Amino acid sequence: MYIDIWQFLGGLVHWLLVDIIGPILGWIGFHGLESWLGSPGVLNFVTILLVALIVFTVGMLVAITHIWQERKTLGRLMDRRGTQVGPIGLFQNFADGLKVLVKEAIIPDAADPLVYNAAPVIIIGVSLFMFVTIPYSQGFYVANPQMSVLLTLAIFSLVPFGVLIGGWASNNKYTLIGGLRAAAQIIAYEIPLLLSVIGVIILAGSLNFMDIVAYQQSHVWMVVPMILGFVVFIISMNAELERVPFDLPEAEAELVEGWMTEFGGMKFGLIMMSEYARGFVGASIATLLFLGGWDMPSFLQFIPDELWFLAKVFAVFGLFIWIRGAMPRVRTDQILAIGWKRLLPLAAINIFIAIIFKTLGWF
Amino acid sequence: MLLDTYLPIAIFAVIALGVPIFAFWLNRFFRPTKKTALKTETYECGEVPIGTAKIQFHFQFYMFAIIFVVFDLITVFLMIWALDFANLSFDAKMLMLAFFGLLLVGVFYALRKEEKLWI
Repeated sequence: MYIDIWQFLGGLVHWLLVDIIGPILGWIGFHGLESWLGSPGVLNFVTILLVALIVFTVGMLVAITHIWQERKTLGRLMDRRGTQVGPIGLFQNFADGLKVLVKEAIIPDAADPLVYNAAPVIIIGVSLFMFVTIPYSQGFYVANPQMSVLLTLAIFSLVPFGVLIGGWASNNKYTLIGGLRAAAQIIAYEIPLLLSVIGVIILAGSLNFMDIVAYQQSHVWMVVPMILGFVVFIISMNAELERVPFDLPEAEAELVEGWMTEFGGMKFGLIMMSEYARGFVGASIATLLFLGGWDMPSFLQFIPDELWFLAKVFAVFGLFIWIRGAMPRVRTDQILAIGWKRLLPLAAINIFIAIIFKTLGWF
Repeated sequence: MLLDTYLPIAIFAVIALGVPIFAFWLNRFFRPTKKTALKTETYECGEVPIGTAKIQFHFQFYMFAIIFVVFDLITVFLMIWALDFANLSFDAKMLMLAFFGLLLVGVFYALRKEEKLWI
């Protein structure tokens, strides 16, 4: 069972513009405007706009809930209670949002103003843009191009650009080192990430999220044959998201707050939120590629697909939080060696396993 | 057909880039502005900063950057190859694997050599 958001909102927009607003305009006398509003192009555009806004809002809310989930779970892992504002601490993030809204915006004298102001827009905009290709179910998505996996991973690799120029433009030694570390780390872990996805593509024979989920529904979840790829993917995704075992770019013990040191107020708040937006996208890519997306046992079919998908995403993000609570930070001189000398061979082995399974026809 | 697929992506990109711009613009009406000289100084844990950070930074990861460019290309080739894996001939599969293996050997040789050059 799933919600076909395109059909639903298309019908709603048609009803609103053609059956309600159109006759009112015609009654007043704007006949040209009435026929313009009723034309297929306008209806299509308004529908796309509404779908985009709804999926965007849902993505933002899920990202904010991830922040709450992280604060609560980390609190419990550290033997404290976590956030307390509102019922079970749910309103703490909104209170923080209001707080950063009334904070003064300080631009350092030494900073390059244009790049300093543009870098957060690039980082936040690109992070939020990544919601575009994530399907929540067969009907709940913004865009479904044939190459959606490739497109998502391509947008994913745009963030270090913003981090690098943001760190440079702040004109602070900590931010410069943090930005360069982020760039080096993210390019080192991008290769195992992409190689671990290739095993899935070989088995499923498609670069489209929908087709990969359909394959997993008819065969088996990818995590069973591609367990090695799943492990490599989760570790590399943690490094790509700059989360705790790999948070060297913002190592607070040595670099204050890394490349974010000079960003304050609203910029800091939105950058932190966009990290969780990326965390949501990373967890949902793992869910779609390896954990069957919205696939479910047949006796639980009455639960909507979207809720199944989100439940799995929260489980994967819970794994990220658990890793964060349990692991110490990787040492600076080991970080690139882990990516290149451990994860890269494992990802290559994973490709050979996928080739063997595909050739023998097991999966 | 192409427009049908990519128009939502374009509209979503405009929304996603518009949200931070709108939030920073909205912030203008709520925040106080009391500028003092100390606030706009570069933060270095309370010390007076010495020199500028816009220096010629020694990019010690250059070797990894070069290997990354090579490997990024092979990854894109592998993705296209993997997409049509089931319909490829035996020769095509083996040639691509040989190419991939060759690059893996090259990367490991470069990394072994790099260990002596590591700064």
